[in-house]
Amino acid sequence: MDNTEIITRYLVEEFLPDVDVTELPPDYDLFAGGVVDSLALLKIIDWLGERFHLNLEDIEIAPDNFRTVHAIDSFIGAAGAHLVGKGMS
Amino acid sequence: MLEWTEEQQELRAGLRRWCDALNDGRAERERASVFDHTAWKLVGESGVLGLPFGTEWGGLGQGLLTTMYVLEELGHSCRDGGLSFSVTTHMVSTGVPVQRFGSAYLKDRYLPGICEGSTIGAHAISEPDSGSDALNMRTTATRRGEGWVLSGSKTFVSNGPVADLVVVYARTDPDAGPLGVTAFLVERDTPGLSVGRPIEKMGLRTSPFAEVFLDDCVVPAANVIGRPGGGFLVLDHVMKWEILCSFIVNVGQMRHRLERCVDYARSRTQFGQPIGSFQSVANRIVDMRTATETASRWLYDTATRMERGENVTVDIATSKLVASQANVDTALSAVQVFGGNGYTAEYGLEAELRDAVAGVIYSGTSDIQRNRIARMMGLDKRKG
Repeated sequence: MDNTEIITRYLVEEFLPDVDVTELPPDYDLFAGGVVDSLALLKIIDWLGERFHLNLEDIEIAPDNFRTVHAIDSFIGAAGAHLVGKGMS
Repeated sequence: MLEWTEEQQELRAGLRRWCDALNDGRAERERASVFDHTAWKLVGESGVLGLPFGTEWGGLGQGLLTTMYVLEELGHSCRDGGLSFSVTTHMVSTGVPVQRFGSAYLKDRYLPGICEGSTIGAHAISEPDSGSDALNMRTTATRRGEGWVLSGSKTFVSNGPVADLVVVYARTDPDAGPLGVTAFLVERDTPGLSVGRPIEKMGLRTSPFAEVFLDDCVVPAANVIGRPGGGFLVLDHVMKWEILCSFIVNVGQMRHRLERCVDYARSRTQFGQPIGSFQSVANRIVDMRTATETASRWLYDTATRMERGENVTVDIATSKLVASQANVDTALSAVQVFGGNGYTAEYGLEAELRDAVAGVIYSGTSDIQRNRIARMMGLDKRKG
């Protein structure tokens, strides 16, 4: 399973219980669609830290990194590269 | 159980020595709903306002736990609940976010005044149409040249009528959900910012609050705390500190209340014996002690784990729920233990009960805390 699928499954299981995984496109705007509110964001940030072993103190929590599944995926990749660069991976 | 070092105990004892002076005239101030600038000056001189801030800015450089431990003494020894509330509001609303997220410029410019109390802080979060749903705010900030233009209105701004500095949370991106909010540090005399008259309220009457109006109020870009869109994270951090610091003050107040009740129950006699020998009175006081210790442990345990970097979202909500309800319950119990005396203004317990009610409302109502815990438990999801 690639990261896009892992993220999509998590979002659907946590926040869209009546939606099938195939119904959440990777470019769907999670903010505009009301999927991600403040508490959801806290849960996602915490989950990303645990699931992908990210040190969240070091990475940028910006709107464009959380707007879509694709954006989160890219963000994880960049954060991972960042950690590799710091010799922490 | 936490054990406190000699240095921490000395810090706490040092604050205790200032509190007699803070208590002078409390009842009159409470009756008149007056914020006492003289008492505030004494608070500043005591050093308590700078507890968690770096020594380079005039603070005492203490961590969260030591800050809480000393603030607990403020609750224990200072009978002016409104003044204590203004202290924690000041500390967490401005100093805490500036120290954690602010630029070197913001720290150098504002933290010295915040530490000594010459600059009084407040934060403007709630709006007439968004209280519990705080992030659904209508106040906007629009980029213009080198600054931001703030427009909207805020309500229930504690310290608002006396504040020199207000952290205003405003929406900077309508399409970015929780990440479309930004925190701005706004000086009181900024054109376009005005403060309404103090709003009359049930308790905490010596801590004034008011509406704050923003009418094309231009704030320099350098006064953004953190980054544009990062206001939600600033607010989350501030709310954690606000709950831990405000409610540990309440724990100190509960300890003092308990001591008074024990003393009263042993000295007041009815039917030829101390009222503490009656099981219904004794049980009530035992329940007060249990509630106080439970609140204390939740708050210190949550702070300890927050300092370790653990996720404390549920624990913060639980701590707030437990401590605020314990404060109301023990305040009502104290009035009952003291009977007719407890109902009089002279004994100060009815004021404590009125003050305590605020705690089940501010920093997220008890209902909202239960909602948060329920969602974190996944209770809103269907079992698949």
